[in-house]
Amino acid sequence: MSCETTRERLSAYVDGELPPDEAAETAEHLASCAACAREYEAMLKTVQTVREGLVRHHAPDVLRARVRAALRDEPATARTAVRRRDWGVPWRAAAAALVVAVVSSGLTLLAADRRPAEPAVAEEVLASHIRSLMPEHLTDVRSTDQHNVKPWFNGRLDYSPAVPRLDDAGFPLLGGRLDYVHGRPVAVVVYGRRQHLINVFSWPADAGRDADPSRESGHGYNLLHWRRGGVEYWVASDLNATELQQFTTLLRSTDSTSTGAARPR
Amino acid sequence: MPESTRERFERTIVALLDDAYTLARHLVRDEHDAQDVVQEAYLRAWRHYAGFRGGDERAWLLTIVRNCCYTWRRSARPAQQTVAYDDEEHGDQETSAFAADTRVLEDADRTELRLALDQLPPEFREAIVLRELEGMSYKEIGRVTGAPIGTVMSRLARARGRLQAALRIGAREAS
Repeated sequence: MSCETTRERLSAYVDGELPPDEAAETAEHLASCAACAREYEAMLKTVQTVREGLVRHHAPDVLRARVRAALRDEPATARTAVRRRDWGVPWRAAAAALVVAVVSSGLTLLAADRRPAEPAVAEEVLASHIRSLMPEHLTDVRSTDQHNVKPWFNGRLDYSPAVPRLDDAGFPLLGGRLDYVHGRPVAVVVYGRRQHLINVFSWPADAGRDADPSRESGHGYNLLHWRRGGVEYWVASDLNATELQQFTTLLRSTDSTSTGAARPR
Repeated sequence: MPESTRERFERTIVALLDDAYTLARHLVRDEHDAQDVVQEAYLRAWRHYAGFRGGDERAWLLTIVRNCCYTWRRSARPAQQTVAYDDEEHGDQETSAFAADTRVLEDADRTELRLALDQLPPEFREAIVLRELEGMSYKEIGRVTGAPIGTVMSRLARARGRLQAALRIGAREAS
């Protein structure tokens, strides 16, 4: 057998993938040809180097969570090729789902001593807030004018949210959007503070007396919740607690006076 | 209680996440792109799981991952396919990414190997990864990559030849 043929076979020979007769021929040739034997040694060393040097990656936790969350979103029975998402989109959809998953674990402690209903709402609010930070998710109506934002909600909701103007205090209005929290569509009014965003959620309260703002935090975000005049309010932001409290105080001072309190229609 | 489809999928397929991610990292290289690809692959795997008749779960899953990698390469980043670009763009970043979990002395060798691997066409690279990291037989590699066994054999031989040259492993004092 020629040296050329032997060298072509070395790779498969090392892998033990040659048919028996070819393997025997190769072994025989290697025993009698020093040059090919050296090539064989070099091939062995190459295979060994590559095998030892190749990086085996560990899937990061965030990927594990993303995959689980994405799968959880899928129908219970695997169906054939329902093309629900195009390239690029799954990340966003799954990120939202991930947010729910992450938030669920993060808020558990904070909410441990609350009524069962509330932690779930806090999680949803926080998830919605984080989702809103993704591209094109922040606002459905983008306007710094309360007279554009407020009417936009009409006809889209069964109540009318407060859209006070707080620019003078350094909290410019950025817009509004509809979101889905606590099993119902809710109004979200978006304000800014420097590079921070503040989402103000509101919807008619199911029941319950007025409640003063209570604060929660999780994953670097602050949440404030209160109930007044039959409306549930949630404020979510990565703004520091002090300024968010200040914002809330402002909001509460205006919503009962000027541009229309949120009220059931 | 009988195992649900979802539980079985979790136990047998999600358990292979490291394998899926490793293949994706070697094929698309960027870690964020690899994560997107793997997630898409798992969604596809789940949607087709009902049609999976059992057998080699790992080969089945890696086939999907591999196809998603190629779809990604074709559709998402046509501009990034040149070797020169990839080396420039990903060299430092990936080096530092794995430098953290390897000993300093090995870094130079590993970097050299990785750069050499990056020079290979993806078909060669996947053959190497499936062979050396997954320990697959040529038949299994052929099943995953859709190539005949002879093609797998020659891809591996050529890939190793190139790596050998790049790593300057030679038969000394050739006669």
